[in-house]
Amino acid sequence: MADSDEREVKFISLMLSRAVSGMNAEVCDQCGKCSSACPVSKEIEGFNPRQMIGKVALGKNEELLKGEAIWTCTTCLKCRERCQEEISPYDVILILRNLAYRAGYNYPSGYDDFVKGVKETGFISAPQSVRGRDGGRVTRSDLGLPEVLGPTDMELFRGIVDGIVKAGKRN
Amino acid sequence: MKYTLYLGCTVQSEQFGLEASVRETMPRLGVELEDMKGASCCGFPALSSVSKVGWHYLSARNLAIAEEMGNDFLPLCNGCHLSFVETMHYLEADPDLKNLINTHLEKEGLQYEGKVKVVHLLEVLHDRVGEKKISGELVKPLEGLKFASHPGCHAIRPSDIQKVDDPEDPRKLDNLIKALGAETFDYPEKIDCCGSQLAVASGRTTLKIAGDKLQAVKSYGFDGLVTTCPFCFKMYDGRQRAIKGALKDSSLDVPVFYYTQLLGLALGFRPERLGLQLNQSPVDGLVERIME
Repeated sequence: MADSDEREVKFISLMLSRAVSGMNAEVCDQCGKCSSACPVSKEIEGFNPRQMIGKVALGKNEELLKGEAIWTCTTCLKCRERCQEEISPYDVILILRNLAYRAGYNYPSGYDDFVKGVKETGFISAPQSVRGRDGGRVTRSDLGLPEVLGPTDMELFRGIVDGIVKAGKRN
Repeated sequence: MKYTLYLGCTVQSEQFGLEASVRETMPRLGVELEDMKGASCCGFPALSSVSKVGWHYLSARNLAIAEEMGNDFLPLCNGCHLSFVETMHYLEADPDLKNLINTHLEKEGLQYEGKVKVVHLLEVLHDRVGEKKISGELVKPLEGLKFASHPGCHAIRPSDIQKVDDPEDPRKLDNLIKALGAETFDYPEKIDCCGSQLAVASGRTTLKIAGDKLQAVKSYGFDGLVTTCPFCFKMYDGRQRAIKGALKDSSLDVPVFYYTQLLGLALGFRPERLGLQLNQSPVDGLVERIME
């Protein structure tokens, strides 16, 4: 394993331990403020930040890493804002996503498109011609908007991103 | 007042209405904008979910370019704004992480120190330009119109890292709406999420979350909804037709505006200079009423 890989894996693990350090059944009293604030809990049965935190506190990460739930958080941050014990389900969920990606578990394929876009142009998406209300197409230059200039040396930039972002088995 | 303007992926690739209206209105209010050379994606939400280091690298990369330019740094997107603020927070708290990021940045001759000031469009308009200045410049006050304020999650939370506005009772966008001569009032769903970040995993749930809020906004008698966030705008405006289908609610018709589009109309700019031809929601009636 290359040095930078090792440092990243170490770093992700460190983040998880920081996010959950001192977190146990006594710290999280399972009050449910996170779940009651959560917009996804209202819509997707079984999505429950309170239960997720309970599982992580007990070290039961594997089920979460392999499931779909961690990918359905909207990142609205209400759970983090409202927790009285300064636990952040939002941060825990994002760290779990990082671990699932590196471990080669399933994740929404859209993330591959995002990463691909960044490597190709520096951005997730390149300037498009967009449809106006009357059906006509409008470009940046039609509106007098300046040309977008991405990274000067794309090859160099791509190499750096490639060196950092590595998926697990899937890529 | 001079700012380094950061567009971000969504704005530069498709949300031209925000960019056009910002570029048009800001100079009128004494705000100068300087474009960046060599900018890239901020890393949110693409990279923060799959590679935290990659995310912080991308954010720090843009911040490093902004540091060299010297002005305060103005990202137009709520997601980008939070991404930069979060990265600064975590790199400040973790010198090892900062060093690691800088070893990657050095390859492009960049260095991140963490000394640039990141500002939100709401802060520029509310705290620095001010309601008084805006009111004083109005050519066409938006009298008799009621707009729902939607600041968006990433502008107001988490309050331990950013202080754009109050996390539970945000007021700045409301005050700015009133500065245009329009009305606004609180509603229970004001700080609720648009759901856009769920689109990558579950499109149907996303439409339901956004649709519930649009239906609520309509039921309270607002004439339209106002935001500054391109992700939220894309949901409420661009996806409104899909939301109508998903909710089987053919009567759902809420005009959605970027704040700077309304500001531009009130300052007397032509709608097409503000990218209003790109709004997909039914804005024509209100635009005509304001232009009369």
